[in-house]
Amino acid sequence: MSAFSKSPWVVHYNCNSCNGCDIELLACLTPMYDLERFGVLNVGNPKHADVLVVTGSVNHRNAPVLKNVYDQIPDPKVVVALGVCTSTGGIFAECYNVLGGIDKVIPVDVFVPGCPPRPEAMIDGFVKALGILEEKRGGKDTGSAEKPTITLFPPAVE
Amino acid sequence: MTPLLLSLLVVAPVVFGALAWFLPDGKARKGVVAFSAIFMIALGIFTATQGAFHYELGSWAGPASLLLEAAIMALVLGIAVKVRSWPIGIMVIFQLVVAVAEHVMAHEGAEHGVLFILDPLSTILMLTVSVVGSVIVYYAIGYMDVHAHHAPPTNAGNGRFFFILIGFLGMMNGLVLADNLRWLTIFWEATTLCSFLLIGHDGTEIARANAKRALLINTFGACGMSLASFTAATAAVGATGTLTGITTAHLIIPMAFLCLAAFTKSAQLPFQSWLLGAMVAPTPVSALLHSATMVKAGSYLVLRLAPAFAGERFMVVVAVVGAFTFAVTSALAVSQSNAKKVLAYSTIGNLGLIVACAGIGTPLAYTAALMILCFHAISKGLLFLCVGTIEQQIGSRDIEDMGGILFKLPMTTTITMIGQASMLIPPFGMLMSKWLAMEASIQHPVMLVLVVLGAALTVFFWCKWLGRIQTASFHSHYTMEKLPTAMLVSVVILAVGVVGSALAILPLFHHVFVPVAAGAFKLSPSTLAPLNDVIGFVVWPVVITIVVALALTLLTRRKITEAHVSMPFLCGENVKGTESYLFRGPMEQTTEAWAGTFYFLSIFDETRITQWSNLVAGLLLLTLLGVIKVL
Amino acid sequence: MSSSPTFLQYFLTLVVVLVAPLIGGILNGFDRKITSRLQSRIGPPLLQPFYDVFKLLQKKPMVLNRIQIMYAYLHLAFMILTIVILALGQDLLMALFIHAFSTIALVIGGMSVRSPYSRIGGQRQIMQMLAYEPVLVFLVIGIYRVVGMQSGTGSFLASQAMSLGQPLLIPLPLMFVSFFIAILIKLHKSPFDVSTSHHMHQELVKGVTLEYSGPFLALIEITHFYETFLLFALIACFWGTNLLVGAVLAAVCFFGMLVVDNACARLTPVWMVRFMWTVPMAMCLCNMVWFYL
Repeated sequence: MSAFSKSPWVVHYNCNSCNGCDIELLACLTPMYDLERFGVLNVGNPKHADVLVVTGSVNHRNAPVLKNVYDQIPDPKVVVALGVCTSTGGIFAECYNVLGGIDKVIPVDVFVPGCPPRPEAMIDGFVKALGILEEKRGGKDTGSAEKPTITLFPPAVE
Repeated sequence: MTPLLLSLLVVAPVVFGALAWFLPDGKARKGVVAFSAIFMIALGIFTATQGAFHYELGSWAGPASLLLEAAIMALVLGIAVKVRSWPIGIMVIFQLVVAVAEHVMAHEGAEHGVLFILDPLSTILMLTVSVVGSVIVYYAIGYMDVHAHHAPPTNAGNGRFFFILIGFLGMMNGLVLADNLRWLTIFWEATTLCSFLLIGHDGTEIARANAKRALLINTFGACGMSLASFTAATAAVGATGTLTGITTAHLIIPMAFLCLAAFTKSAQLPFQSWLLGAMVAPTPVSALLHSATMVKAGSYLVLRLAPAFAGERFMVVVAVVGAFTFAVTSALAVSQSNAKKVLAYSTIGNLGLIVACAGIGTPLAYTAALMILCFHAISKGLLFLCVGTIEQQIGSRDIEDMGGILFKLPMTTTITMIGQASMLIPPFGMLMSKWLAMEASIQHPVMLVLVVLGAALTVFFWCKWLGRIQTASFHSHYTMEKLPTAMLVSVVILAVGVVGSALAILPLFHHVFVPVAAGAFKLSPSTLAPLNDVIGFVVWPVVITIVVALALTLLTRRKITEAHVSMPFLCGENVKGTESYLFRGPMEQTTEAWAGTFYFLSIFDETRITQWSNLVAGLLLLTLLGVIKVL
Repeated sequence: MSSSPTFLQYFLTLVVVLVAPLIGGILNGFDRKITSRLQSRIGPPLLQPFYDVFKLLQKKPMVLNRIQIMYAYLHLAFMILTIVILALGQDLLMALFIHAFSTIALVIGGMSVRSPYSRIGGQRQIMQMLAYEPVLVFLVIGIYRVVGMQSGTGSFLASQAMSLGQPLLIPLPLMFVSFFIAILIKLHKSPFDVSTSHHMHQELVKGVTLEYSGPFLALIEITHFYETFLLFALIACFWGTNLLVGAVLAAVCFFGMLVVDNACARLTPVWMVRFMWTVPMAMCLCNMVWFYL
């Protein structure tokens, strides 16, 4: 790992989340998990950030905002989508105003599904994102992440 | 040669002015004004190269001076009647009485003496007046053209305006060169009259009120001047009729009256209100009279007298008045959003600093005072002209309205930036002299504290303004604004002067200011060698640093294209496709993201601070009298 | 009182300019590490500040206008110049002015963009200057008086201040305390991190530095390294007779700064100015009075 991926600065955008994922994300920064060990800083604005962490599903109101925040992060950058809502819209998927997962608006590099995902899973996702960041710096097109498939309705018990 | 030069310096501008007045508005008048500007610059420089001279008029000079004085007094009296101000009338009559009494009671010998003198000190001010003043007069050609379009109907007309503006240069030269106290009084009063007429030029109610106040306060100062002349000529010991004759402690009373006169002219606290009011005048007037030249007359007077009284307790009070003025006006400038008022307060502050340095009375302080005198004239002249241009182009002199002018007026804004930078960045003259002033005031703790606090506040208001005028969005191409030639050329000349004097500050310091200071204290320049060490090192490293930084910037900015430009961070709510500082507010309303500037109106409340500081300054003036009594 | 430096001095200055950001960076690394430990976390590696800078340098530039670039460069250049002037033993007061201009460049850079957060941050930065600048000037003047008492004539030359027979801390204890408080403001530490803030803090979403990103932010970070080095080197110089003791003094102050940073809530800008213009200023003046009596 080069210096580049040792200093991922994070901007966190809450699209439409129930705050469950957000609380778990902040838990990652607390003494218990201490993400700053990897140089992660929660910088709070896109201009200084390398990693965009998104929680919640996209709706009509916040889709342009999400796109805008993404555009204001200087390249190279990665997007980490936390929680099931960011993948498919989660429990909000059927709402009249919800577009679905954030991949409808911006390219996503890592999905961390869960409702909410455990901090361990989040850290795992971050580490994966750092690898991608490193590849992007080398000019490699990493493509978009594979979207986790989630069945909206559990199969009927037979 | 000398009488010719002298009469040219004083009379020629008046003649040119009269010519400009009687010529029809148009090319001919502009030609005369432009020619007189160039002529005065050439004459000033030529006179400076001629070296020092003394000149004594014939025996007719005494009665002539009385007649001239009576004429001016009659004029002022007429004005006093016209504006219905009985205090001015009483003061004028009082002056007249004093003048006659002086003529009768003056000691033998007090009449004789050098009448006009050009020594290094007056050369410096004469050059400043001729060069900076003439450039401003040239600027006025372009300015008044535009001004005429939206001036109020009460406007007095351009002919008279140019007559007074150009004639003023002559009066100012006379003031600088006069050594005889009576002649000094005449020119002093004449400049006051010019100032009165020019402030009232637009003829609006506020202009007339402010002109009246200027006349009132300056007539009060002129009373001090008359009394100084009277007490000097009738003193029991060492009676003298000349300015350079006031050297001994016996003449401390005329000295005190001269200081009083100087404080009114230089708008030191508590006399500052007239200068602030004077800002209603057209901008060239503010630049010429109320910033670059006329107000310098007061501090020049103090400077001329200071060496003889250096170290007296009396001078400590003078210095404290100056330093106090500097601190208070710097604080007041923080609360102002009117650009001309900020400049006015800053002017008063810098005049205060000159007075403070003169009061300290060491060669080092004296050098600092001389440097402020010169560099301030150039920088402030430039800034006033820039503000004048900006005001005409954007229709406002409010600093808050100056955001984005970098795109509308790239040239003017860049030059304004240079002017402002020259007030607070090394190696520009103003900062270097402020630095010297601080080093010089070290022996006087009270002054030191005032100067340090004032300097910190100065940085505050300049930074705010500097930041505001540069606020701009990205533009890939800038097109130069179209300005009248006269305005553009004069602004560029002064900007080049500011930068040039910054680059040449070392030679200027060694070969101009230090010898003058040494001469004033009757020391040889070599005894001031340690002084040279102080300033010796820093200039070139700073210049190199700036050049390197600018070079790197140019290298980098070439690579910056439209593709690298982003919108400001507005929490992601930017509205696309419009001006980039709009955002989507509540209910999808498009709202402008606007951050104003801090003015701290509750802390630096102009009315309250002015009241209290006037009180303190008044007490300081009373202290001045007390000190005299002790002697 | 000759002030022309020797060749050796020039060489040493070059070394200082090259080494200063390294030391400053490491100090910042300690800052992050110790702060983490105070919060019972493990914290980032010691070299984290360098990783940050290397990363920022490799990012694509992103700007709002072209003027702000100039001010990032000026910010750094004048900070380096300050160190050069001090290392060559030149005039302290001038060094202070040049240092002030470095900060002014940051302010104007922040104000030159049409971004409300950045503009407010810029103006708060001016208020920070307003708060600490008089204290620094008084400190310099105090040093002048100390030199004057020792050698007859006062001097602003840094070289003279360093060659005193007595540590500056002894005659200037109150000024030292005021200087320490000024350092908290300079380095944007709580309770004075009003214009921008470091690490995890997000005052005004990074305030005056908000609209700088990538390489230009790196320039500001490097300047920050230089500044950290400069300020703690100055603290060490308070015990100039034995720089080892001075280093210990600087270390103690550094730790003290982190404790204050972690233990204090943020003041409002106006409170900050009021506080600085009363308590530390009074201490400075009190200390000054000793010399004029």
